[in-house]
Amino acid sequence: MTVKRLLLAGGALLVGTSAASASGFQVNLNGQKNNGMGGVGVALTLDQAAMFYNPGALAMVRENGVQVGVNAAIARNAFVPESGGGQSSLRNTLVTPANFYAGFGPKEGKWKIGIGAYTPFGSELHYANNWEGRYSLTDINLRAIFAQVTASYAITPQLSVGAGLVMLAYGDVDLQRDVPLSAQSGAPTPHVTLNGKAKQSFGYNAGIYFKPSDQLAVGVSYRSQVDAKIEGGDVRLRDVVYSTGGNFTATQFSATLPLPATASAGIAVMPSEKLTISAEANLVFWNTYRTLDFTFSGNNGYGDRAATPTTPAVTGTPGLLGGSSSSSAKRYYQDALCFRLGAQYKVTDGLTVRAGGFFDQAAVKDGYVTPETPDADRIGLTAGASYEFGKRFGIDASFLFEDFLKRSQTQADLLNNGTTDRVAGTYKTTIAVPGVGLYVKF
Amino acid sequence: MKRFTTSSLPALALLGLVLGGCQPELDQPTASAGSADFSRYIAVGNSLTAGFSDNGLYREGQLNSYPSILAQQFAQVGGGPFVQPLFTEAQSKGSGYVQLLGFTPATATALSSPITGTVAGNGGRSTATSAPYTKFLDPINNLGVPGIRMSDILTPGYGSLAGNPYFERITPDATPLQTYLQRVQATVASIKPTFFTEWLGNNDVLGYATAGGAVASSGITPATTFAVNTSYVLDALTAGGAKGVVATIPDVTNIPFFTAVGPSFRANLDLNKVPTAAPFVYTTGVLAPGQANTRVSTTIASVRDANGTGNLLLTLTASPYVSLYGRPSGKYWRDFYRQATGAAPTGPAFSGFLTAIGVTDTTKGFGQATENPFPSTLVLDGTEQTNVTSATNNFNATLTAAANTRQLAIFDSNAFFRGVAQGGYVTNGVNNTAGFISGNLFSLDGVHPTPRGYAVIANEMMKVINAKYGSSLRQVDANSYRGVLFP
Repeated sequence: MTVKRLLLAGGALLVGTSAASASGFQVNLNGQKNNGMGGVGVALTLDQAAMFYNPGALAMVRENGVQVGVNAAIARNAFVPESGGGQSSLRNTLVTPANFYAGFGPKEGKWKIGIGAYTPFGSELHYANNWEGRYSLTDINLRAIFAQVTASYAITPQLSVGAGLVMLAYGDVDLQRDVPLSAQSGAPTPHVTLNGKAKQSFGYNAGIYFKPSDQLAVGVSYRSQVDAKIEGGDVRLRDVVYSTGGNFTATQFSATLPLPATASAGIAVMPSEKLTISAEANLVFWNTYRTLDFTFSGNNGYGDRAATPTTPAVTGTPGLLGGSSSSSAKRYYQDALCFRLGAQYKVTDGLTVRAGGFFDQAAVKDGYVTPETPDADRIGLTAGASYEFGKRFGIDASFLFEDFLKRSQTQADLLNNGTTDRVAGTYKTTIAVPGVGLYVKF
Repeated sequence: MKRFTTSSLPALALLGLVLGGCQPELDQPTASAGSADFSRYIAVGNSLTAGFSDNGLYREGQLNSYPSILAQQFAQVGGGPFVQPLFTEAQSKGSGYVQLLGFTPATATALSSPITGTVAGNGGRSTATSAPYTKFLDPINNLGVPGIRMSDILTPGYGSLAGNPYFERITPDATPLQTYLQRVQATVASIKPTFFTEWLGNNDVLGYATAGGAVASSGITPATTFAVNTSYVLDALTAGGAKGVVATIPDVTNIPFFTAVGPSFRANLDLNKVPTAAPFVYTTGVLAPGQANTRVSTTIASVRDANGTGNLLLTLTASPYVSLYGRPSGKYWRDFYRQATGAAPTGPAFSGFLTAIGVTDTTKGFGQATENPFPSTLVLDGTEQTNVTSATNNFNATLTAAANTRQLAIFDSNAFFRGVAQGGYVTNGVNNTAGFISGNLFSLDGVHPTPRGYAVIANEMMKVINAKYGSSLRQVDANSYRGVLFP
């Protein structure tokens, strides 16, 4: 019964969303066993999730197998404006980053191939109604599902390499904010929604895994940047004030969001057969995210209006949102490092327990924090366990608690940087992420 | 397996809920009064203090006056009740005000421009004999009186039949000749304020400026009068040991009343391919019936455009007339005559009036010919701007010195409004500017703030109060206060 329900939960994969739980809007919840070990993986051969962490290691995963995992990210966010109003928070939602991997190969062969799907980027935040930053952002839902085919080859029993073709299989973004205009009639504040799907695009990952002895393994891997390009996204407007309609004529937008490259290096030591300890560092090349640019097009007819008994006909300008045909917001992210440490201990033949932690550096610089990514240096603590029965089936469970350090930005910072499209104040976020997975080996 | 799933998974889920349910709490600085005592606050001033907006005083503006916003924030640190002479709900339209009806459609040769209309008020004394406003005679904390000048505070009967209708509205019937200063003194004696704001003096130069420097009766207040009266009012306010804020007055040449029309006039001429070398003839100095006036002949290039080149500022009241530039039109002069005499602009009387002020041929291009010049009342030229600026600086020096002598906080509204004019003012992600209609901060009269403008002023005042008195008043979210309302 439990298994069946969990499989259904795994079915949430295709609509899976992710909370920002690594620097920027990256999500590091890509393997259930890894999650329990502070997110390490580049020097490990735990299971088929290796194809994400280090495709070079996949060839060293002994058994073939299929696994699914799903996490429930419960984010809690607090914001206090610099000007000293009250604290506001999120209308909280539960988001469920998920993953699926399958790896195959001849039992004693040197090859392994694999397919996988996971959600390495995403963010979902819904701010309280009427919060101070409502003209910057009220809601964001950024989703990206990647699919990967992988080949891995063990050159020697100690050294293996691998590479994957990575596809941004599904991506969409939904951004909403209020428009700072008021109507005489006391009508609701105008509201704009930008919603679009990313075009499918490709990238790759590659890795090398080296295990000189039973007690030591090292690995390096690289995951390329993939750009999420949106063309013909929908611009939806609600409650436009009639007389200002000529400034809100757009129906479509296009934008590009870089999903940056990551380089990882790690080491694992196995002092005994039961104990594995691993440490690694990830460098995420966030500095490619310089500006977020939107261009608007289309005509909703607001600009071109027929005459009415009281107003003359109007010929308007198409493709305007807020009177402009484009917008550019400064992001200027910085490359971010993350250090991870994790361990697992095999208590019995069936039960393995895990623990770990990480320190994840913020990608967003001071004075550039936006409500869409209230990023900050973060500390994460994890725990996990697996139970295997019949040497065939297993269940993984993990838990992550992530604490964002308090992050403040002042109005002076915003003015200095020309980033006044966001709001001065202090953010604080915590995320709790329980996760569960199932696997079968053969 | 069974045991594991039944025991561990619920435990994990519970852990997730417990930790995930934990809402982070941010420490907020506790609001405190510092060395100030906000328990009894009074506000002294003019239209800005009363909450005047959109060319009228009406209930919504009163509710969003900066003293009202301040009082709400003071209430968090021990501030007491703050009574304003509000118009009732039934008379919420107050004196009447201007509202935006729409925009004219842009055409190939004309820019779109705002269309405004007037919301009728509740009568009020527009002439000496018409009915007064319904009086409000409860004790009040907001003594803001639209139109009052520093030079008016000693005028007996300022709130009488012939005086200021807003002061009349709050003047007890028993003391019809009470001066504003006496009213302040009486209020201090009865309320015993612990804190005050004082923002008088704007009208001592504003009237001159909005009249294009062309009306003798709206001359700039003499510096000595201003200084003496400033001392009187501040002495009255501090008599009981109250602390407070003195606001300086802004240089009005930065406000939309003077910056909106010129640039759109210039842009329109550009659209119509009128060269900047085309003549622009205007009168300068006092413009009054029967009085000859001086002509200045210059070119369109002198009118300040959107880039800030050109030194002539056109007033918002010039808006209905600029489109007549270059046309054979006597419209302005007919309106002027009607306003000055109340009579219809026809017959020998009107001809004689025109001849006396030197307007000899209204079939010549308006604003282009010496015989049919652009009127002084609609132009603030370089000399007049200098008069405005030097008077403003002079008054501000007086106010600052008087405040410093009494160790009061100073809100330098001149520096603040200059900053707004140059760089706008951001409120939580919203760019507000000193632009007319689009800027959110100035109401449709181009002079007085919108509720958002007043909220921003209140926030800026709280900054100087905090700095001076070591208090930590919390600012308001200015975006919760409206800018211009669109139809």
